[in-house]
Amino acid sequence: MATAGAGPLIGPGARKERPFRWMAGERPSASCYLDERTFRLCCQLFLQHSVTIQDGWSWEEIKVADEGFMRKTVLIPVRSDTSHHQDVCSVHTGNTESLTEELQADVEDEAAGVQSVCESPVVLRYEYHVVYSSSYQIPVLYFRVSTLDGRSLSLEEVWSNVHPNYRQRLRQEPWDTLTQQEHPLLGQPFFMLHPCRTEEFMKPALDLAQTQHKRLNYIVTWLSVVGPVVGLDVPLSYITAVSAPD
Amino acid sequence: MAELKKEEGAADPKLQFAPFCSALEAGFWHQLTQKKLNDYRLDESPRNIKAYYCNGDPDGLPTRLTLEFSAFDADGPTPAHCCPASGTLYNTNTLEAFKSTDKKALLDKAANEIWDTIQSGAAVDDSSVLNRFILLTFADLKKYNFYYWFCFPALCFVEGVQLVQEPLSLEKRFTAKQISSLQMAYDNLCSLTGSTAVPHFLLKYTDESVHVAPLKDFNSFVKDLKKITVGVYDPCTLHQHPGWPLRNLLILLAKKWGSQIDVVEILCFRDRTLQGSRSIQHSIVFQVKLPDLSTCTVCPKSVGWEKNPKGAMGPRSVNLSECMDPKRLAESSVDLNLKLMRWRLVPSLDLDKVVSTRCLLLGAGTLGCNVARTLMGWGVRHITIVDNAKISYSNPVRQPLYEFEDCLNGGKFKALASVDRLKKIFPGVNAEGYNMSIPMPGHPVNFSETTMAQARQDVEQLEKLISEHDVVFLLMDTRESRWLPTVIAASKRKLIVNAALGFDTFVVMRHGLKKPRECRSEDSSPMSSSNSSSCSTPAVTTTTGASLFSNIPGHSLGCYFCNDVVAPGDSTRDRTLDQQCTVSRPGLAMIAGALAVELMVSILQHPEGGYAMASSSDDRMNEPPTSLGLVPHQIRGFLSRFDNVLPASLAFDKCTACSLIVLDHYEREGFQFLANVFNSSHSFLEDLTGLTLLHQETQAAEIVFVSFSSFCDAHDIL
Ligand SMILES: [Zn+2]
Repeated sequence: MATAGAGPLIGPGARKERPFRWMAGERPSASCYLDERTFRLCCQLFLQHSVTIQDGWSWEEIKVADEGFMRKTVLIPVRSDTSHHQDVCSVHTGNTESLTEELQADVEDEAAGVQSVCESPVVLRYEYHVVYSSSYQIPVLYFRVSTLDGRSLSLEEVWSNVHPNYRQRLRQEPWDTLTQQEHPLLGQPFFMLHPCRTEEFMKPALDLAQTQHKRLNYIVTWLSVVGPVVGLDVPLSYITAVSAPD
Repeated sequence: MAELKKEEGAADPKLQFAPFCSALEAGFWHQLTQKKLNDYRLDESPRNIKAYYCNGDPDGLPTRLTLEFSAFDADGPTPAHCCPASGTLYNTNTLEAFKSTDKKALLDKAANEIWDTIQSGAAVDDSSVLNRFILLTFADLKKYNFYYWFCFPALCFVEGVQLVQEPLSLEKRFTAKQISSLQMAYDNLCSLTGSTAVPHFLLKYTDESVHVAPLKDFNSFVKDLKKITVGVYDPCTLHQHPGWPLRNLLILLAKKWGSQIDVVEILCFRDRTLQGSRSIQHSIVFQVKLPDLSTCTVCPKSVGWEKNPKGAMGPRSVNLSECMDPKRLAESSVDLNLKLMRWRLVPSLDLDKVVSTRCLLLGAGTLGCNVARTLMGWGVRHITIVDNAKISYSNPVRQPLYEFEDCLNGGKFKALASVDRLKKIFPGVNAEGYNMSIPMPGHPVNFSETTMAQARQDVEQLEKLISEHDVVFLLMDTRESRWLPTVIAASKRKLIVNAALGFDTFVVMRHGLKKPRECRSEDSSPMSSSNSSSCSTPAVTTTTGASLFSNIPGHSLGCYFCNDVVAPGDSTRDRTLDQQCTVSRPGLAMIAGALAVELMVSILQHPEGGYAMASSSDDRMNEPPTSLGLVPHQIRGFLSRFDNVLPASLAFDKCTACSLIVLDHYEREGFQFLANVFNSSHSFLEDLTGLTLLHQETQAAEIVFVSFSSFCDAHDIL
């Protein structure tokens, strides 16, 4: 979404000035971009560290396309105090209600749990995918949240599961660049943090590193910034343990 | 959490297991859809799929068997530190078949296969075959409903399994030294087997060390059958219960070694890494009395169909239209973009007010096309378009809802083609087109019975349409055609947004919204110069100089015809505006069309809506009345200077369209009055409203002149 309606209006409608952004085609410097090979190398180093701390990142290869992406799934039990609990957990029974009744007698139950116990916590599955965008030449974070039956949540439902204390912070950038888009490799709808703002927050970090003659792993730096915005934690150990590719 | 039920009369507690709950990734359904459409089609034969489970969950997560989009790649890799389970997918073609499938038979079949691997010893060599599942599905791809029922077959001991020693956590059972020795031994076993998880294994230990071995090494590894410990990779996080995979393992042990073993110690191996630190000490250990199945030759009774979320034995279903139906996807994407605008830029924006507004577009030319597209951009769902023209070859380049093809064979009707295109652009739009003419003053309809009847029908249709909408856009290319909808909408108190183009000038305006009928009389002005009625709309002559052109409330604002001293129907007068759109600079319609919609949105955001006081150019420095900014009466644009001004003007009590006397006649006489207007020359309306008289009175003409010159720069486009 562009800065729509940025006119000579004054007052609440007026937007705060945004740093000037380069249009596609002109680039201030190459530092904010990375080629696909570097992307893969950065991911490799990232994944090596993930194996040692076992925080669940993996590489998914799309065989036919010879492409891949980095992926992590996190399961979070739904807070029982949330008023939206019902919305998220409500199962779309609809016309299966009768189906359930009909079929009930057909199958043997284990005599009300003689040999089994019951547990029925409600869980949300957060899926994060780091995908290389060859048109923007930067990594892009895709995510979706679903219930255990595989239904994806709308952004409102996701939002309702964000703790109120965080909402104010999250209302800030770059949530405003969230869009719904097809996953480029899976063809399924995901939310994504639009890459148009990446340069804004990568540039200072990269510039700082340059003046200090440090070499940053792009994925680590970038994910540490964008991840927390959508609830993805990147442990500090990545910053110290993961190097930049040679 | 755990719900313990002791069997009545039982002396020793029976071991209870936490069943798997099915966990499906969204991608699984997408992949099933693809398979069904491209691969399986109507073939119902069973398919091999795979799932996995893990033993690294933090407390509070349910014991899960997970299927991802990769589930259909039965030979594909298993995620690190997870155990695979192979399954059979039965995807039926109909809901009937789904219902009538013999679930017991499916379970028996799977249970027998497991029993066979136990009897043959294949399960000893590769114990992962004990972990099986069945998935019965029906995919209703028209409605994106997916019905499914999982089964995790578990063979049962008739009498259950007796606990000899209650579960303890590993750290209470083992020393720290033993725990780290176990961890090392398990990791070694993993690397020996070339995997990152081993489903079942044997243990033996001393105070000093722990040794593990694969199940197939039973005979060489186990020296003392009185002290035997078996490890199971356990997906459960409950402190008192093992997960499901132990069940078939116990059956295997009972069948193979039941005659030799009395009591067996079980280690439910749980291995998690949180924040980089690994722990297995929360694993649980307990002892059970192992039943003897060694002489048993028939497959034991089995269970395993999953309960639905209500706790009943029954299938589950999920509707995925929101993430699969292309139309729903388009809708949610459109909504999302708008919501993000609200969240980020204008938090107080009332989007529902905009989205739910029913818009009537009169005219489907350059203005109409651009207005429709901008309305779609705002998420407006209800758009009705009226036009009587066909698409001609010159149209598509300027009218963005049409293509070359639409011009062929005489051209399609604009009203219909534009609506078709809107639906193609966004199927979620509720759009309707009416190919009809709007009768005009000075354009007689009384040639025949038929023409009269047609005019009557057109008027009735237009009245009906205006009643059914919230905002009426006047986007025609003639001045006269705006008269009838102006009168009808004024009478029905509907908001009008009007746009008209010159060559390089335009006007976009809202018509004043007359006060609701019940309170109009209170507002009557005794000072009014209008002698037609005691309850008149405010007139030019009664307003003091200071408030003449500022702070005009919405109900006192003028209409498109208020500024005229001639009635519509005389096309020799206004040459500049309302001529053929093709003589406008091409960008003008887009600018004016967009402004017309944005003006509507700003009006809707004002708490008083169409009654909002008009903002003027002077208000540009003041606190805006809405979250989106100003709510002007008119926007007059001058493309030659790339400049807009925001004049405001009062309703004129001799207006040929919105004055009380015109509305009174229309409301009292209905079509008869309108027909008189259509059939007469422009002097009919001028006589009626007193304009004729006004023309004859010089000082009155001066008053009109004052109201004219007050449009700042506007007079030079009038
Ligand atoms: Zn008027």
